[in-house]
Order: sequence, then C-alpha cells, then structure tokens
Amino acid sequence: MATVIGGIGTSHAPTIGVAWDKGQQGEPLWAPLFDGYIPARQWLEDIRPDLFLIVYNDHVNQFFFDAYPTFALGVGAVHAQADEGWGKRPLPDLPGDPDFAWHLARSLVADEFDPTICQEMALDHGVLSFLPLLTDTNWKVPVVPLAVNVIQHPIPTARRLFRLGAALRHAIETYPKDRRIVVFGTGGLTHQLHGESYGRHNEAWDNEFMDRLETDPAGLTELSIQQYMERGGTEGVEMIMWLAMRGALGGTVKRVHRNYTAPLTTGYGLLVLES
Amino acid sequence: MDDVIAGSYVFTGERSANSYRLNKMATTLRSAETRARFQADEAGYMRAVGCSEQEIDLVRRRDWQAMMEYGASIYLLLKIGAAVGVSLPQIGAHTSGKGH
Repeated sequence: MATVIGGIGTSHAPTIGVAWDKGQQGEPLWAPLFDGYIPARQWLEDIRPDLFLIVYNDHVNQFFFDAYPTFALGVGAVHAQADEGWGKRPLPDLPGDPDFAWHLARSLVADEFDPTICQEMALDHGVLSFLPLLTDTNWKVPVVPLAVNVIQHPIPTARRLFRLGAALRHAIETYPKDRRIVVFGTGGLTHQLHGESYGRHNEAWDNEFMDRLETDPAGLTELSIQQYMERGGTEGVEMIMWLAMRGALGGTVKRVHRNYTAPLTTGYGLLVLES
Repeated sequence: MDDVIAGSYVFTGERSANSYRLNKMATTLRSAETRARFQADEAGYMRAVGCSEQEIDLVRRRDWQAMMEYGASIYLLLKIGAAVGVSLPQIGAHTSGKGH
C-alpha cells in the first residue's frame, strides 16, 4: 500500500530558476533562500520517496483562458517543460507515473473532485523553479502534477483545497502498490505583482500562515479568498495550495524544517512536515 | 468580492473576457519563432492574430498600467515584456505609478 511520508510547502518564482541557472546560490541576496533548501534536500535523501505529488498552479503556459480548468491532473509518462516566453531552461523533461495518476483520477472523481485529465501537460516554474533545489536534475523521482486555478476568478476556496488534500490522502492509501509519497503544495507566499502595492510582502502574515498550517489548518480554511488577497496580495492568494498538502498529512504533524526569506518581490517560504 | 484589492486588480471573468484577444496574443509568444515574428513587426503580428487597433496601441506605447486597466493578466504582460525586453520590476513600477 502507498503511504504519505511527508509534505513540503514551498514558494515558486521564475527568479529562483534564473538565479539557480546562473549559479548565484552563494551570493548574499540569494544564499538565505537557497541554503534554506539544504536541510529539506537532506531529508528527502533520508526518507527515500518513490513519488512526488505536486499541487501547483500553471501561469498561462499549459492552459489558456479559452478553456481554463479549475483542477487538472497530469497522467502522462513524461512532462515537458513549457517555454514561458523567455525560452526553456537546461533541464530534462520530468518523468510521470501514469499508473498512479490514473488511480488518482479514479479516486478523486469518486470523491467528487473532477480534474481535467491531461495526457500532455507542460510544466512551468510552478514546479520547475524549486525542484532542482530539492533533488538531482536527473529526476530519479517521478512527479504527478495537479494544477489548480488560482489566477482567473472564481477560484476554489481554501476549504476546498484542504478537502482536496484529504481526498489525495485517501487516494494514496488505497493505491495497492508500495509507494512512499511526498505531497507538495506550492505558491505564494505573499506577493503583489502589479498596482500601487507592487512589491509588497507581508512577513507577519506569511509567518502566521506557516504557524497555523501546522497547528490550525482548519482555522485557515475559514478565511475567504478576499481575505487571503487582502493579506497576501491578489497574486499571493496562491498560498492556499499549501492547504492541499496539509490536508494530505491528516491530523497532527511534526515539523522537520522551516525557512523564510524575501529577497525580491515574493515572500519565499519553505516548510517540511511529517505526518 | 471586491474587484480591486489594495490597489490591485482581481482577474475576474469580466476582465478576462474584455482582454481576451490581447491575452491570447501574448500566449502566442511562447516560442522563439513567434517572438521573432512579433519583434520584427509588432503591429503587423498583432493584427494578424486578431488584435484591435486599441490593443496594438496599448502595446506600442508600452503602457502597462493601461493594459492592466484594460483587463490583461499580469502573467501575460510578463510574456509581452519578455519579448520587448521589459522586466517584471519595470512593469510593476509602471503599474504602481512609481516610475517607468
């Protein structure tokens, strides 16, 4: 039987990928962010996961507004990299896991979550910006990506994402093969990419969010989308995807690692939890 | 839900519908070949993919704030910006009213 062995909440941003590709990990601006991933990478080496299930959002790279799915599941054997408008990074395509992904599709629909099923799903920085910080880029661990619409309103509520997490856990625990699975929730934390508050991040809220994700996730589901945007920015609302990761971990969790930094426009959080 | 929060536009269905052609043009800039065609003749390229003269003018003027008011997605402005050599901080500063 498959099991959820842990969860990772992490921000994502194109600038992480640019800095990584340029080898800027040791520079003063970036070291607090990149060094923060080292304990998480070590944890992953120690726990030997077989699969990453990554709840993320596409930034109009795989999907466009002609048909924009609220939830979309990548069931392909390979996930290509999207060209986001500035060319592809020097990274190989990611391996998928069709057998598990189709099981997940059946289980989610039975649990009344209805993702668009994608046999081809090109991935953008929503997955590829942080992944090289956590694992070798020969990609030994396959990835099943689950995209959530958090950019064109109406978007799903925080509560729905927390419930999605519980449905992910149910799917994992009913998968007959032995698999050790880490569930990711990615996005946020606070950032505002346009308008009079451009560049604003809310460090107090980011840290409160990470505190409560551990101890009071149900309380975080009481907040409306408007409240998330007031506290964390219209783009920072992405952070609700961390609740899917938390929902997959069940009742109480043990914190393994946490980091927070804000070198540019985004509050960058990293949180590693075990069930 | 408010459709402007802390001075930022919520990307609602109304905004998405209003800016559909401009956003769609921006999605076409996801390959080196299309970016080269756009860079060679911005107005001609935009006209060919169905943009209006108003939309062509917004891009010609690099008026990022007006594009946001028009309903564009910030993620798609980043693709136009990448094609014309303008970064997120420059676009963000323009839309904040704090310089170009």
